[in-house]
Amino acid sequence: MRPHSSLKQEFLKEWIKGLQRCSFPKKSILERKKAIKLSADIAMASARNGTTCWSRALISSAAKDGSDNNHLVKQILGPESDRPAVENKAPARQASVCKKILKRSCRIRRRGRRKCGAAAAPSSIAKHLVKKRRQILRSLIPGGEFMNEICLIEETLDYITSLRVQVDVMRSLATASVRGTE
Amino acid sequence: MENQFFLNAGIPVHAPPSQFGSFLSSSPMSDWQSLSSAMEIQSQDCFPTTDYGLQYESALSSMVSSPTASNCNISGDSLMIRELIGKLGSIGNSGEIPRHSQPMLAASSCYSTPLNSPPELNLPLPLPKPMGLNSSVADFSADPGFAERAAKFSCFGSRSLNGRTTQFGPKDNGEIAAYRSNPLTPNAKLPRVSSSPAIKAMASQVGGTNKNTPLQDRSQLVNFQEESTVSEQNPGSRKRKAVPKAKPKETSPSPSPNASKVTEAMETSNEKRCKLSESNGNENGSGKAEKDAKGSNTKAPEPPKDYIHVRARRGQATDSHSLAERVRREKISERMKLLQNLVPGCNKVTGKALMLDEIINYVQSLQRQVEFLSMKLASVNTRLDFNVESLMSKDQIFQSSNPSLQPIFPINSSASAFLGHQPQQNPPLHGNIANGTMSPCSVDPLDTAICPKLSTHLPQINQFIETLPQYPEFCEGDLESLVQMGFGQNQSQEMPLHSQNFHGSNQVSDMKVEL
Repeated sequence: MRPHSSLKQEFLKEWIKGLQRCSFPKKSILERKKAIKLSADIAMASARNGTTCWSRALISSAAKDGSDNNHLVKQILGPESDRPAVENKAPARQASVCKKILKRSCRIRRRGRRKCGAAAAPSSIAKHLVKKRRQILRSLIPGGEFMNEICLIEETLDYITSLRVQVDVMRSLATASVRGTE
Repeated sequence: MENQFFLNAGIPVHAPPSQFGSFLSSSPMSDWQSLSSAMEIQSQDCFPTTDYGLQYESALSSMVSSPTASNCNISGDSLMIRELIGKLGSIGNSGEIPRHSQPMLAASSCYSTPLNSPPELNLPLPLPKPMGLNSSVADFSADPGFAERAAKFSCFGSRSLNGRTTQFGPKDNGEIAAYRSNPLTPNAKLPRVSSSPAIKAMASQVGGTNKNTPLQDRSQLVNFQEESTVSEQNPGSRKRKAVPKAKPKETSPSPSPNASKVTEAMETSNEKRCKLSESNGNENGSGKAEKDAKGSNTKAPEPPKDYIHVRARRGQATDSHSLAERVRREKISERMKLLQNLVPGCNKVTGKALMLDEIINYVQSLQRQVEFLSMKLASVNTRLDFNVESLMSKDQIFQSSNPSLQPIFPINSSASAFLGHQPQQNPPLHGNIANGTMSPCSVDPLDTAICPKLSTHLPQINQFIETLPQYPEFCEGDLESLVQMGFGQNQSQEMPLHSQNFHGSNQVSDMKVEL
């Protein structure tokens, strides 16, 4: 594993800031958990400073108007510069949404066609499998629907490292808290 | 005639790539040398007369027109290049050159012969684009300058050939002859045609006067691979060593204008071919020397000019779509390899679908872990309230004291701040900490204790972990309370509890601090 202590540090810093900013509801544990996760996600995404697609997509989806976490997100983001990035995403997202719709329609058309003609060739079957998995991956990565293949793999790389950092930091924090309570 | 050219050149689309592979895999040097010797003989035998030259020119001119027509048509360019090489090869390739199937060899062999012919085609001195022609084509001396240039450039990845202007000064025929002695050595050396810098170097050298003897050329070829990666050579310097020896013939006498045009066209198409062939070569491992250039190209293909230079692999379709598709596939496979290293357990898996499966599983597991951990953190009881101002103030204090633990600085500062907060309850114990005048030893344990939690791979932390087993617990609690502070829990209720918790650990930490 390559050393990403700087990333960890950055992530933790942002996370703590975000946590401090939110007014966590003291009532339900689920809400607390949501707030924690949200602040962690946003911290992770902002640690990338908008260089990666998934981070931008994550922040913009979280800050979407009308979402449940909107107020929380706004609080967490606070005076950070993520807001302009979030706003700028709007037109881009419209274009991607159109692309998405187009892709979906193409996929449906292709699916119909495929059913008609049995694809017995192994290569086509393999391609079909790979395509399926790629779709799944797209759904996993935030903003993955708008990426082409090459970007998708790059974003996956980045996303995996960020997730790793997030998990490490959270785990250490959790163990520390557990130990503290003992 | 055309067919003959193609046959002779051995550039059939359906030529088995294995030939190349086997050829290249075998001792190239010996093969090349034998080839070169054969070519020497052939060159003398089938010395291209003016007829050949005319044929060549006509072929070149026909080639020239095509690239201009298809601007960014990679397939067209590559096709044109192939034709060109084929024709060139056929022109001079009267004899039977072993490994005829290899276009490069054939081309090179053909090229050697034209060397003797007067330089009718004056290759343009400045070659704007890196030549993708393999060095094997260096022997391409149907038009000494052209052949050499084309050969030299073809084998080199067209990566960053931008700005590489080969200054082809007046070339000496003698130089070409010198190169002729090593018709195939370049090919042997082409294995790893480097990026454009190498090509540029070659280009520059091509323009330069090559006064190396054949022996030198051979040695140069040997160094070609190393040299190929040499960044742009001084275009003005006409030294051979900069230029991959693979293209000794580059310094042919001034090529004719037609040849120059053709060379350019060839070069561009060769670049493309080089690039593509490189990527393709990685996949198929065909023996084409051009593939050598691919290796460098696949790393970071830079389109020299608005378009990506790729070279069609032997036996592959040459239309632009398939070429572009190949490049794209190469890119994807590159990145998949990176992913393989990142995702644990992916190394043993082969195949895109399985690898994607692993990646998907890994991402899903990581996301689930995040969910679980956030739930766990949410369930932990909040403790002491956190004083943000004290935290910030302590940041600067401890920042300077722990430069080595910079990565965990925020944590350190937060922990320190928290500890600083502690003295408010236990002044005598934490007075040192609060003042921020802690000695390095006292500060370090604090930091190192926290460090293990957050960056376990920091070696320095581990040293302290053993020495201060109990300390970490103390710090963890601090850190956790820091986080929980954000939860806005009722401070008053938690304070006494927390202070009690710290009382016990305070003693421990106190002992540690005094260490």
